[in-house]
Amino acid sequence: MKLTIDGKSVIAKEGQTVLECALNNDISIPHLCTHSQLSAFGACRLCLVEIDGIRGYPTSCTTPAADAMVVRTDTQALQNLRRNILALMMLEHPSACLVCSRRELCEQFRPEAERTGRTTGCHTCSNKEICEVRALSEELGFAELPVPPAYHERPVERSEPFMDRDLNLCILCGRCVRICKHHQGRAVIDFVGRGSQTHIGQAFGNSLLDAGCQFCGACVDVCPTGSLADRYAKWYGRPEAVAESTCIFCDHACALALGTKNGKVTAAQAVDENVPVCVLGRFAVPEFLNGTDRLSTPHMRVGQRLRQIPWEQALEMVAGKLRQFAGDGFALVCDTTSTLEDRHIFKKFTNEVMKSTNYIEIEPDAHGVSRGSLPAGTKAALLTGNFVDLAALKELGLSIVQDCYPTPVSQRADVVLPAAVLAEVEGTILDRSGRKRPLHKACEPPGQAKPEWWIICRLAEAMGAEGFEYESAEAISKELRISNAQLWVDRVEAPPAATDFKLRRTHFRGHRIDEKVRGLRELPVEDPCALEPAQEKHEGAFGILEKHEIAPNVHEIIIQAPEVAKKALPGQFVIAMVDEKSERVPYTLCGWDAQAGTITLVVLEKGQSSRKLILLSAGDKLVHVVGPLGVPLDIELYGTVVLAAGCYGIGGIVPIVEAMKDAGNRVVVVTEARSHYLHYYKKKLQGLCDEFVETTIDGSVGVKGHAIDAIAEKLKAGEKMDCVIAVGCPFMMMVTAQETKPFGVKTLAALNPIMLDGTGMCGACRVTVGNQTKFACVDGPFFDAHLIDWDELRDRRAAYSAQEIHSLGRTEAVVTGHSGGSGCKCLH
Amino acid sequence: MTSSRDKGLSRIADILAKHPANRGSLIPVLQDIQQDFGYLSEEAVAELERRMGISANEIYGVATFYTQFRFSPPGEHTILSCQGTACHVRGGRQILTELEQRLGVTAGRTTADGKFDLERVACIGCCALAPVVAVDGKVHAQVTAKKIPSIISRYAGEGNFS
Ligand code: SF4
Ligand code: SF4
Ligand code: SF4
Ligand code: FES
Ligand code: FES
Repeated sequence: MKLTIDGKSVIAKEGQTVLECALNNDISIPHLCTHSQLSAFGACRLCLVEIDGIRGYPTSCTTPAADAMVVRTDTQALQNLRRNILALMMLEHPSACLVCSRRELCEQFRPEAERTGRTTGCHTCSNKEICEVRALSEELGFAELPVPPAYHERPVERSEPFMDRDLNLCILCGRCVRICKHHQGRAVIDFVGRGSQTHIGQAFGNSLLDAGCQFCGACVDVCPTGSLADRYAKWYGRPEAVAESTCIFCDHACALALGTKNGKVTAAQAVDENVPVCVLGRFAVPEFLNGTDRLSTPHMRVGQRLRQIPWEQALEMVAGKLRQFAGDGFALVCDTTSTLEDRHIFKKFTNEVMKSTNYIEIEPDAHGVSRGSLPAGTKAALLTGNFVDLAALKELGLSIVQDCYPTPVSQRADVVLPAAVLAEVEGTILDRSGRKRPLHKACEPPGQAKPEWWIICRLAEAMGAEGFEYESAEAISKELRISNAQLWVDRVEAPPAATDFKLRRTHFRGHRIDEKVRGLRELPVEDPCALEPAQEKHEGAFGILEKHEIAPNVHEIIIQAPEVAKKALPGQFVIAMVDEKSERVPYTLCGWDAQAGTITLVVLEKGQSSRKLILLSAGDKLVHVVGPLGVPLDIELYGTVVLAAGCYGIGGIVPIVEAMKDAGNRVVVVTEARSHYLHYYKKKLQGLCDEFVETTIDGSVGVKGHAIDAIAEKLKAGEKMDCVIAVGCPFMMMVTAQETKPFGVKTLAALNPIMLDGTGMCGACRVTVGNQTKFACVDGPFFDAHLIDWDELRDRRAAYSAQEIHSLGRTEAVVTGHSGGSGCKCLH
Repeated sequence: MTSSRDKGLSRIADILAKHPANRGSLIPVLQDIQQDFGYLSEEAVAELERRMGISANEIYGVATFYTQFRFSPPGEHTILSCQGTACHVRGGRQILTELEQRLGVTAGRTTADGKFDLERVACIGCCALAPVVAVDGKVHAQVTAKKIPSIISRYAGEGNFS
């Protein structure tokens, strides 16, 4: 079939839709509900086109291409229509960042999305880097909302393993519903309800687990928004590279596409995405590989303790000791999850170098359990996993463990050598039907961990043996004439564990997988000694009296802290620790009552530590609240004082407004938020100040823009301001500073969002102010905003964020202490 | 002896037997089940999944699209709060708000103790008596917010709706 699209003559295949034909010919037509893996649905209506002879604007995704059709995809009328359709969709989506006039500056200052509990705009959305809605909005030049948007205040669903669901972002494209049905042959999720209440859900409000979800992750992969997310991968952003390798958690050996960033695997998916892989392949690989307790350096027993030593030394020492055990007194134990290349070297080493016949290769059972025992009379053993009982070690003169994770056995061993596994190595394995499948190295092993063939080859060389000069797994496979290993990408059927996760393997090389991958603990398993879901409980002296989510992701918390309340002054902050292990995070004092002995904090959930705090509820206790800290703000008679506040700062300025007012100033308060539903404390502030101005990025209430836009307007109109004080995120404070500078207005900024220990020791909060190095925690938080080096501040924050992502990287359900409405009014 | 569960299941089998065995019958089948049982229970929907081969989640999705279906047993008493034009003009909204607050449920739901269903309706057809509230078919005329507690307690038995 021949048709004309946008004046270009193109050929369509039988059965193609107009959209498919256009896309095939590099003609882009916006589309959201269509997905390459799914049949047409016709829900989003963005793919409208004009076709000669067809009235109106047909959807190209549902219109079959026909011979001699003349199609236009890019007329002014179509652009306007699409923009309006998107605008309608964006009325029920946190869309402010899309229409923000400082979009580009924001992007430059903070290219990575911030990690929050609840997404209130692209800047706090894990989907930001790959968002189809955002891309479309750029393409269509979408810059305005016709009327104020709505926010459904749906709870963020974080109580399932592996996946987060925030349906406040859902655009009801139905991709998830359709892919689920396609992958599972049965709908686990569907559209529930009608009209404005329509949402994605399960029957009778059941959990995904109870509804029969197999955690194949397909819905997450096709969702065009940040509504569905892989809890582990979400904050790593778009992978830098994708490498294909084979999953060796079980012997079905599915091919996985591994997304990597900074040398780490952050996400895994089936290569042939039409057939699901099991929950291990989809969700367990990154967390297993990135576990913080991975063995990463060689260790050698010195007396009671294992001491870290360099590789060379370790190999020398082991070589020296092993020489005394040549003969059948030596045994090497491995299992068949090691590559053919590795096992060849193991065997050769055992037979030729150690002159022993005791090369023991275990075939894991259906659950992946590999148990073995050492032959009677074994005096020295090299174990490449957790295969033997601890008791076996007692009989040995020398025990060497080469493994990926520590175990009771490795803790008693004489030598522990860190091994690279899974996607960290090259090689070949055999699947259950004897076909060769390749492993490709996708990421770096932790620390100094090495491939297993490398360890044994170098050991053999250190013992003076010949024939171990291999420098790569490839060299070994060449010698073994291993050829034609191919990724299993043409799977017809999903592995059994993908349709019943009870059939999944529970062990890998003797390690419980769910000990490392915490989300797995919540799934049923055919294993009587399954681990309990992890729950951390803590007791402290600082009780939470009240807690409310007063705006999406903004939590007001009243805490019993009499000593702090007694001494607090405007502008000061506290450092709160939820439990002994949590990071020390500063929070601005938003109010206090010396008599009642309470303080009020306004906390945004951003990252791991604040998450812990907001997941507590009234009645819970914090381990520590230190303060008041920081230099109080100078309260003087300036004349007119303008307070610019955003996010937590709207709460943070309350004591300052009161004090400035008491000192006789005229106080103007300008608050900013992305949209009307994100404003809070309006009445409270109105009652305290002389003039109150609200701004919203999307223009849904008050002045459109950031706080500075309202302030600049006043300055341009000649209004006198004697001091501007900005309290909010660094971006907002920077913008305020930049734009008050030309007017020569004294401007202060509160730099507390960057501290760690709060006592000037850690240096995390070092800032350069007018060429001098200062510590925000002891010299601040207030500094002359015109002298702050904002670029340096941005870089420092970026450096900490990598660490923060790592600490968030867990897959288990987020446990809330919420009491279902009694006390805590949180949306969670 | 057959349990009540088994009896329920055989009633569902009877209903299904009356309809052609295809997806198109889903809505009529759901209507019959609701007619018979008073609501669509989780067990009933699970049984339909088993017999019709449509996932419970999908059935639930379809059913929630229609306002006629309910998913919890009906309350002992049904309170209708009229929101028709006449009632609206005469404060029907305040009456409904009062009812919602007193009963602790929003319109369209059943109280936790299973005593009351609270529904909003468009017009009961006795506008002259506006604003009206009907309980189990009995119309209470010219209701004021103040009268609500006594109306409720009349049906609540020993319940303590003060
Ligand atoms: S899904 Fe996230 S990144 Fe995409 S438009 Fe919405 S808020 Fe922005
Ligand atoms: S993870 Fe798979 S089974 Fe579960 S809801 Fe998503 S698509 Fe369906
Ligand atoms: S959750 Fe995502 S995929 Fe599903 S309907 Fe909403 S936007 Fe579409
Ligand atoms: S892509 Fe055609 S209607 Fe959504
Ligand atoms: S671009 Fe995100 S707040 Fe402006």
